[in-house]
Amino acid sequence: MSELPDWQIEIDGAIGRWQTDIDEALTLEALRSLEVRALGKQGEIPGLMKRIPQIPPQDRKAFGQAVNALQTQAAAAIETRRDVLVEALIATELNDTSFDPTQSLAPLRRGHTHPLSTVQADIEEIFHSMGFHVLDYPEIESEFDNFEALNIPGWHPAREMQDTFWLDNGHLLRTHTSPGQVRAMHEFQAPFRAIFPGKVFRYEATDASHEHTFHQVEGLMIDRKVTVGHLLDSMRTLLSAILQREVEIRLRPGYFPFVEPGFELDIRCQVCAGKGCSACKRRGWLELLPCGLVHPNVLRAGGLDPEEWQGWAFGLGLSRLVMMRYGVPDVRLLMGGDLRFLSQF
Amino acid sequence: MLVSWRWLSQFVDTQGVDPLQFAEKFTTTVAEIDDVVQWGFGLRDVRVVDVIAVAPHPNADKLRLATVELGGRTVQVVCGAPDLRVGLRVPFVPPGVTLPSGITVRDGEVRGVASPGMLASEKDLGLSDENAGLLSLDGCTAPAGTRLHEAIVLEDVLYDVDNKAITHRPDLWGLYGVAREVAAMLDKPLKPFDLDLVLGTTAPLAIRVEAPDACPRYLCARVANVSVQPAPVDARLLLRRLGTRPISNLVDATNLVMLETGNPLHAFDARTLRGGEIVVRRAKAHETIATLDGQLRQLQTHDCVICDAEGPVALAAIMGGANSEIRPDTTELILEAANFDAPTIRRTAMRLGMRSESSARFEKALDPVLAETAARRFLKLCQTWNPEARITSHLADCGPFSADAKPLSVIHTTATYLRERLGVTAVELPDAWLDACLTRLEFRVARTGDALAVTIPSFRATKDIKIAEDLVEELGRHYGYDNIRSEAPRVAARPPHTPALKLLERQVRNTLVHAGLTEQVLYAFDDEETRARLLLAEPAGLTRVAVKNPISVQHTHLRRNLLPNLLAVAEKGLVQGDDGQPARKGLTIGVFEIGRVFVPEKSDDRGLPPVLVNGTEAELAAYTAGMDSEMLRGVLDARSGTKPLPLQPMHLGIVFAERLGGGAEGTKLVIAPTEVTHRLLQQGIAMLNHLLSWLGKQPLALLASGPESSPGAPDGSPTWRSKLGYDLVASTGETIGFLAALHPRVRIALDQPAQAVVVELDLRALERVPAIVRGNQ
Ligand SMILES: [Zn+2]
Repeated sequence: MSELPDWQIEIDGAIGRWQTDIDEALTLEALRSLEVRALGKQGEIPGLMKRIPQIPPQDRKAFGQAVNALQTQAAAAIETRRDVLVEALIATELNDTSFDPTQSLAPLRRGHTHPLSTVQADIEEIFHSMGFHVLDYPEIESEFDNFEALNIPGWHPAREMQDTFWLDNGHLLRTHTSPGQVRAMHEFQAPFRAIFPGKVFRYEATDASHEHTFHQVEGLMIDRKVTVGHLLDSMRTLLSAILQREVEIRLRPGYFPFVEPGFELDIRCQVCAGKGCSACKRRGWLELLPCGLVHPNVLRAGGLDPEEWQGWAFGLGLSRLVMMRYGVPDVRLLMGGDLRFLSQF
Repeated sequence: MLVSWRWLSQFVDTQGVDPLQFAEKFTTTVAEIDDVVQWGFGLRDVRVVDVIAVAPHPNADKLRLATVELGGRTVQVVCGAPDLRVGLRVPFVPPGVTLPSGITVRDGEVRGVASPGMLASEKDLGLSDENAGLLSLDGCTAPAGTRLHEAIVLEDVLYDVDNKAITHRPDLWGLYGVAREVAAMLDKPLKPFDLDLVLGTTAPLAIRVEAPDACPRYLCARVANVSVQPAPVDARLLLRRLGTRPISNLVDATNLVMLETGNPLHAFDARTLRGGEIVVRRAKAHETIATLDGQLRQLQTHDCVICDAEGPVALAAIMGGANSEIRPDTTELILEAANFDAPTIRRTAMRLGMRSESSARFEKALDPVLAETAARRFLKLCQTWNPEARITSHLADCGPFSADAKPLSVIHTTATYLRERLGVTAVELPDAWLDACLTRLEFRVARTGDALAVTIPSFRATKDIKIAEDLVEELGRHYGYDNIRSEAPRVAARPPHTPALKLLERQVRNTLVHAGLTEQVLYAFDDEETRARLLLAEPAGLTRVAVKNPISVQHTHLRRNLLPNLLAVAEKGLVQGDDGQPARKGLTIGVFEIGRVFVPEKSDDRGLPPVLVNGTEAELAAYTAGMDSEMLRGVLDARSGTKPLPLQPMHLGIVFAERLGGGAEGTKLVIAPTEVTHRLLQQGIAMLNHLLSWLGKQPLALLASGPESSPGAPDGSPTWRSKLGYDLVASTGETIGFLAALHPRVRIALDQPAQAVVVELDLRALERVPAIVRGNQ
């Protein structure tokens, strides 16, 4: 039995040493540096090949095979070790229960849409989907457009009822959104449907339920042969959509110079289902909005022939609707600018 | 206005009608009833007694012992009423009876003397707040011992009709008008007034109506041999529960007739009218009158006064004069029943702050016919209560109305038209029902097939009913709006139009909110306190729209920029904290508003229908063809007089603010750290770029401009910009707004150490910024 050559003994020994080192590598980083030291371009195992010239020619083939085998074994050992270390890391990560979900960073800064805008946008979408133009008309109006065009002549008590802000230019801050009726009649060819939301102004002292500035939505439908029956159907449909429930409505006589017949529209009290409670002052009904068939004089002011065209109109209090929807106790909060209030929306 | 069920039932048969269901029906048919109150219930054990003896109480000075006759037996009770005397008829509450107030009358002793029961005041019985003495039943003829509710009118139901619901219905300001509606509602006859009188033949006195425009009708009568006494108990209690204080039979009769007919009356003591004449005229400059409430009133020349030969004796329709009122010793009266011009009365009553039951009625434009009804009702009542009274004159009737009584107006329409407006068929609302309904409401209906000629009764003609649509309402409310089939309108399906600016406004709002800003909706008025404190002013030459009647000294002008109000809101936020963040150093606030501002420079919008502004004569003639005289006058006035409206552009304002100092005790920092200012500016610029990107608009150039150096800005150069200010310029060269740090002087004036960057731009100009060109590589 021939003696093993020295290089053979050395290579056989090296396998054992590398295996030990690899098994002792405790981190992926240590394993990686071991890998570089063993198998890298300048690594010790590839470095063995430089000794070929000192190996006897008849052994060179065997030497080369032995080095390659060493390299393969070392690489396999490293891969095996890496799998073990990765599995251990995964296990550690999976076993981490130290996170406390109740601790988090400061909340992200979010913006807030004004509740008036939110409610107005909802209403605009409902009406838009039913074929209504959504329009915007000026806040300063002429006396003519605010009163005469709406069949409210100079002597009329309604001019005092709607106490008015007068301006130095002889004009006024509109006391209702109704001037839009005549503007819309001139702007669009009949038949048409439109709403015009916006600010209105009343010269009156403010308290929890009165503001000198508040928001309304005016609605107008102009067509041939418009009837009270149409008004009933439209208002029930629209109010059910706006209030997001089936509403029961009733009309009762109401006096507004720009409609004839004119109505106060009540909705059945939801709190007591009409039996009478404190919310509806024991009446079973809540007064919601004024409406009616457009007065012939208003149609004339709008350039329409009342023999040919009729219409219905309503005025809905947007501020009141916001207060109803969100339970806002004081109307002055709406335009008070308080960020602590607005950031609740 | 209160309506008494018992009184109503004297004119309409209400047998079998439930008073509560009645209120519901009345609300949907006529006018809203705010409240229903029961009056005079729970008193069935109270009895009528006569006081037959009064003796002092042995142990109390203020109490006395009353012996009363209770129908076959007598009872002695202790009584503290000062007006107790022998011969008085009063209510007696037996022991054990619990009164509506909750008090149970005991069979016990009062200061050592037995008192089995009590004599009652109005307040004791819950009939009114009157507690000065016993309820006097003098004149009540029932035998002693009769139950009170059988002797006088009790157990009434009062309906509080919402006054706002009847402003257009002068006929409903009297019970009789209400009864007319109720009769129509219940389809029952309305009992006519008994107005038969024996009148004298001479004139009551000389009457001259010198202001026929203020007083269309003035009726007068003279009544002699009257004696001033309390009115009958039922009348007194009726006045009381309708909210009027009983005074004396004569004055009470004027009030009762006013409540009944709706036409106010006035009674003068005949002795006091100097010169034996009455003149109705406008007041003279600097004239005064002492009204019967003891005040001296300064008159103006549009006020209407009633005068005798020497001067004013009454402020027409509002209040009598102290010099001519009915006194306890009056024996002869002059009755005034008049019709006054509504605007004249309203103006005077408002100016003097003297709105009374009387002026409230005249302000509604009463029917002149009613004045005569009221006069006759009064004279009748006066004689009923005062059998010795004699009407010594005829009923003098002066003023333009009596001279040229106009024929009643007629509306020509068709039954088909009236039904079409309601949306009902001839089967649902037949001709016969239609005619009967209008007839019950006292319209005269002349029908030729479908065509109707409907004569308006005088009491509906003053301002209420004019056109066919008014008849639609009459029919609709009595037919019952609940009975009208609701029907979906048939409309052409066309896509609705939404103005581009409205769409832009929504996009801007959503983008800014999603980027973390809070939206504000603020007043159209500037706050002068904020402007002065923060040194915010318009540049020289730029004015704001002024309010003629500001609600307060802080709100004298309309805003020309959004920023002053927005800055004030941010300033408050820095103190109060925002969104859960405490108010401490480093707190940042981002707010914005989209709203109209007001620029006095003229627009081309005159606030008039276009045809009035630039229509041809022919177009104008067509426009005004169907108008009544009131409308036509308004049109012509507006056409000649109205100036264009101011510009009312929609602006976007943004404020970024950061708190610099510590708490409230921190000192104001004069210098804002450069890095804070730069960061806020960068934040503003980033936000603008973000917005433009979302809008698909090209970015804006920032053109540096110091204070007083931005003539191209939409509203000149606000003084609150620091040198770190930039005009926002579109690629078209148009300046659409600005972005700037606050001027240091403004910043220092803030009530907290803070820095802010402000942006304001014109939304219409933003809309014009060119769109990003897409599709390039
Ligand atoms: Zn209720």
